[in-house]
Amino acid sequence: MSVGANVLTGALRPEPREASLPRNRMAIAVLALVGAFISSYLLLHKLGLIGALACGTGSCETVQASPWAVFLGVPVPAWGIVGYGALFGTALVGLQPSHIESRRVAWALLGLAVAAFAFSLYLTALEAFVIHAWCRWCIVSALLTSSIFALSLAELPRVRRA
Amino acid sequence: MVTQKKKATASAASGLRRFYIVLGLVAVVGALALAYALLRGGAGGAAIEPVELAGVDDPRALYARAQGVVIGPETAPVKLVVFSDFMCPYCGQFASQIKPRLQEAFVDGGRLQIVYYDFPLGGTHRHSFLAARAARCAGDQGKFWEYHDLLFGRQSEWSPEASPPVDDFIEYAGVVGVERGAFERCLKSDRYADTVTANRLLGEQLGVNATPWVIVNNRYVRNALDYGDLKQVIEQELGA
Repeated sequence: MSVGANVLTGALRPEPREASLPRNRMAIAVLALVGAFISSYLLLHKLGLIGALACGTGSCETVQASPWAVFLGVPVPAWGIVGYGALFGTALVGLQPSHIESRRVAWALLGLAVAAFAFSLYLTALEAFVIHAWCRWCIVSALLTSSIFALSLAELPRVRRA
Repeated sequence: MVTQKKKATASAASGLRRFYIVLGLVAVVGALALAYALLRGGAGGAAIEPVELAGVDDPRALYARAQGVVIGPETAPVKLVVFSDFMCPYCGQFASQIKPRLQEAFVDGGRLQIVYYDFPLGGTHRHSFLAARAARCAGDQGKFWEYHDLLFGRQSEWSPEASPPVDDFIEYAGVVGVERGAFERCLKSDRYADTVTANRLLGEQLGVNATPWVIVNNRYVRNALDYGDLKQVIEQELGA
């Protein structure tokens, strides 16, 4: 491509604006941090370090005390901390100037988000069809992972354009 | 062009700054909320609601899982079963006015056995499940009935509390001479959550819809708070 063409495409390129910020990654980082706190809260409860869960009309204790509150020998909230922590860390890496356009980060985020979303679906199905009880913190977590999944999908077109 | 780039860079930097401020705020709020939950202590991990029980669809399995607390000899010819809730005022009335008289008139003479089953109503009786577990924890040290009486005696003290009255229950353990450390460990766990849940489910199977629910040798006694009525039913059963 000639220098002239570069100049031309540069001239036609839309004016760089604030919109070029990786807002999806920012949102993922914030949501993942919220999710990590919720998971920490549930884990502290599981470890008996805090009082009864603030659960309103939900059945958090029923869900938390059920056999499905442990996955592969590890309390589910601990998995949540690991998952949200990984998403948070990856999103922050993706906000560094050298990685803002990184496709690897985008794919890593998507991979983690798919795993988190699938795990949330599994847990929500257990609440609905097996435990027959709802924990509002688990529902909030499921909404967080769904949002993170949608945001990480939206990241792909952005890095492809880059 | 250069100005535009500078503007864009400045704008991006400003956007990132705002993002980090939001992130910092979320981190501070989250950390404070966790610290508050830790300091508050609350139920300290105590199970305060019924739990999921597997394998109790069969009534016989459920009956085996449920555990009544007994006073009086197994050989007693009459058995009185009571389903009760520690937050229910009428249950308190039964415990303080009817049970002592039954004990004196029938249990002490070996003619009556009383079997106590938990029936935590839930809903507005939000602490009754924890109270039932607390009584069972006291029962570990042979003080179920003493604790049972104290819980009912001080019902107006702990019932209205907004958060689970764990500290009150631990204090009561000391009052009835239960070793507090072991009691606290038991209370701040899910111990007996399955038993209390099974008792509640058993009550549901039997059609319990109010407390105290009293059965004398398989006869439901509608007005168990009337000692005269209850005595009459027991005497009929003794005479049969």
